Formats: sequence, C-alpha cells, structure tokens
Amino acid sequence: MKKQLKKNKPKIEVLHEISFTLNEKQVSCKIKASTILLDLIRDVFELKGTKPGCHEGECGACTVLVNDAPVNSCLFLAVNANGKNITTIEGLTNHDGSLHPVQESLVNNGAVQCGFCTSGMAMSIKAMVNHFENSHHVPGEIRNDFPTRDEIKKFLEGNLCRCTGYVKIVDAAEKLFAKEEF
Amino acid sequence: MEFNIVNPKTKSELLGAIRKENHFRFGAGCTDLLMELKKKPEKDLTVINLSFVKDPLFTGIKKSAKGLRFGAMFTAHKIVVNEEIKNKYHVLHEAAFNLASTQIRQVATLGGNLCTASPSGDMACALVALQAECELMNTSGKSRMVPINDFLIGVRKTALKKNEVLFGVAVPANKKTTTNIHSGFIKIGTRRSMECSVVSLSYHVQLDKNGIIIQAGIAIGASAPTIRFAESACEFLIGKKLKTISQEEKERFADKVLSYASPITDIRATAWYRKEVLYNISKSILE
Repeated sequence: MKKQLKKNKPKIEVLHEISFTLNEKQVSCKIKASTILLDLIRDVFELKGTKPGCHEGECGACTVLVNDAPVNSCLFLAVNANGKNITTIEGLTNHDGSLHPVQESLVNNGAVQCGFCTSGMAMSIKAMVNHFENSHHVPGEIRNDFPTRDEIKKFLEGNLCRCTGYVKIVDAAEKLFAKEEF
Repeated sequence: MEFNIVNPKTKSELLGAIRKENHFRFGAGCTDLLMELKKKPEKDLTVINLSFVKDPLFTGIKKSAKGLRFGAMFTAHKIVVNEEIKNKYHVLHEAAFNLASTQIRQVATLGGNLCTASPSGDMACALVALQAECELMNTSGKSRMVPINDFLIGVRKTALKKNEVLFGVAVPANKKTTTNIHSGFIKIGTRRSMECSVVSLSYHVQLDKNGIIIQAGIAIGASAPTIRFAESACEFLIGKKLKTISQEEKERFADKVLSYASPITDIRATAWYRKEVLYNISKSILE
C-alpha cells in the first residue's frame, strides 16, 4: 500500500504558458508539454464540438483549422498552438448563431447521419473552400474553376464516416461550390 | 504519455538544445512521434520541438543552378502546391500528394519522413530516385553532405549522429539537355488514403530531344529493409529510346528492379505478392 502511494505521488511538472486565438478570441493558458490540442479544446476550453475519434490521425473527426489549414487535433501538440489562429466547429457558426453556409449545405443535402464525423467534415470542407478560393478564385470574377468531384473526394480523404454517407457529403461540398458566394 | 519539451526559436538555440539534452527525440510534424510515444512511452524523454525554429534554410525552399534545396521542415503540403516541383520533379509531387491525408500533409515534413527512415516512406522513396543529398549539421554548426542512400541505413535507422540534426535536403537539377521528363510515383496498397505502402516505386527518367533516355532514377519502397536505388536498372535504360523499348527489354528491366527487392511477409502482404506486384509495376512504367 505504502509503495503504491509513493508511486502515485505527483511529480513536479513544468507548465508551458501559451496564448493563441481560439475562434477569434485571444486566450491563454498553462499546459503540460505533452498536452494534445484536442484535449485542450475539449477539456480546458470545454468546446465539445470537436470529436475524439481514433486518436491516431486516421478518422478526421477531430479536424480543426490552424491558421486556416486543416489538421488532426489529436496529433497536434498544444504547445504548437502558441501564436496561432485556431478555429473549431463552434467558430464556424456565425456570430448571430445562424449556420455557416458549409453547415447549411450539409443539412440541406442530408449529409448528416449519426453526426459524429460531421464537425470534422465541416472543418475540412471549410478548409477546401479556403484552399480553392486562395488558389484560383479572383473575387468578383465568375467562377468556372470549381473542384471536380474527384478533387473534393481527394481533399476529404482524411475524414471517415462510419455511416458511409459519403455520397451526400460530397454532394453538399459540390453544391456549395456551385453557389456564387460561400 | 509524458515528456518534457524545449522550443528553440533560432538555429543556435536548436544546436544548444542538442548539446544540452541527453535523452531526446526531435519533433517535426510530430504525427509519427506522438503515435509512437502514445504506444510506447519513453521515460525522462525531452522532445526538441522544431516547429518554432525560424530559419529560412530550415523551413523554406531555394532554387539554384545546382537544383532545389529544401529545409528539413518543408511540409508535404508545400511540396504539393509548388509548381516547380510539379513540373520538374514530378515524382516528389506525386509522392507528397499520395502521403497519408490532407490533414497530415499540412504538418508532415520532408525531414520527418526521412528521419523516420521507414522502408515504406513515400517522400523518402522519391528522394532516393532523385538521388538527393542530406545536409547534416553538428552542434558546432558545421554541415556535412551525405548521399541519401548512405543516410538511410536500416529500418528506422539513419546515419544521423547524436550531435547532429538533419538541416536540409538537396535535390540535383535535371540535366541541361533534358527536354522531357517521365517521372512519377506508384503506390500500391489496399486503399488510397492513410495507407502504408505494400510496395512503392519511384521513377524519374530524363529524355533528350530525340526521346533518348539520358538519365534515370528508379527507387523501390517497402521491398527491403531500406528504400533501394535500383542502379543496374537505371543503367540499363540509359541510351534507349523510351517509346521503342521492346517487350523483352521491359521484362529484363523489371528483373533488374526486382533484384534489389528482398521483401518480408507481414500483416500487409506476403513477400511473394510484393515481388509479383513490383515486377508488374516496373514493367508498366515503360509502357
């Protein structure tokens, strides 16, 4: 018994102070070196929209945007969030609480089944919108450079849907690009 | 999973951290490292986090007459969107584009892919075909250039010494007389994304204005303890006209590629299957 108590005695840990932008708000906190971004978002900031899935970068349920790029938050050191701009599904929703066009398109196309993959899918689709906007689109010009269905599938390759509702999800992304504005 | 972390911000801080720490691992994109540490934690480990090191030679890309020089922290995503690489070193573009998934490519680095030294490393395989050189820097700031075949010495083993860090990777320029490039990366697996290759093949074949092969780089992945450069297969191609290679020559070429393979049977595929596939994809690149 004594031995076990000794074993469980907490070690003195070095905490790292980080500050970053989380859904457009400046935040700071003290974390352990080994803290993962996913746990920081869910447990410290209590934003439960980002879903823990496989914890090994396979399923994409935990996808968040770091400086507008999609990353698996389960394989991202929280320390590396320092100075960055992090967006989660909660930050995608408009300020008045209404849905972002990406979310609307998912709803309107019946792309949500059990819903577990949805926040990750939405973040990846948002990243895809950013990507194609930045690489091709000149504001004000008529769009004729939408990603093909295959390009959409390739972009969403890191997001799994256990309900296998992929057709509707790709539909949702495709229809989003067919609109003039995002 | 517990570890300490140091976050050097400059090259000299990085070299200082390597000097100071006894038991450390480098953290670049951390996608492999975190998985490894989750499964097998190391006691009293310090992660030297490379993400904050601000040095264009460590993070960027530079073009010169000699070729391309990558910083070790150049990400797979940056490779994918680089037009120069897409046009002139297509094998590396394809390898990066087929790596893991969109999310992983944002953070995964060229240096990390090399230092992990997996026999099935995708970008590493392309770099072997391109006959790249690794720039290893020691703690006194001195660099040595090591050919990539001498850098990858075994399964998860590299020539990196305890007081060194992989600082950059140099890819030689294509030949001046090259007018056409036949370059690509074939990855065989049971699915397209997030797949560890069953077998992979990189080829970078340069042709002159008459369609004659003047330079060739062929590398095979997941077929031996390290990624192998199929030298005799490359030599076999030199001087031949790509479009008129006979069926018999294609088979001889595939045999030469296969002579470098010594695959194992594991959870992904049998040794027999790997050899069959390798033979067929080798032939297919000359079609």
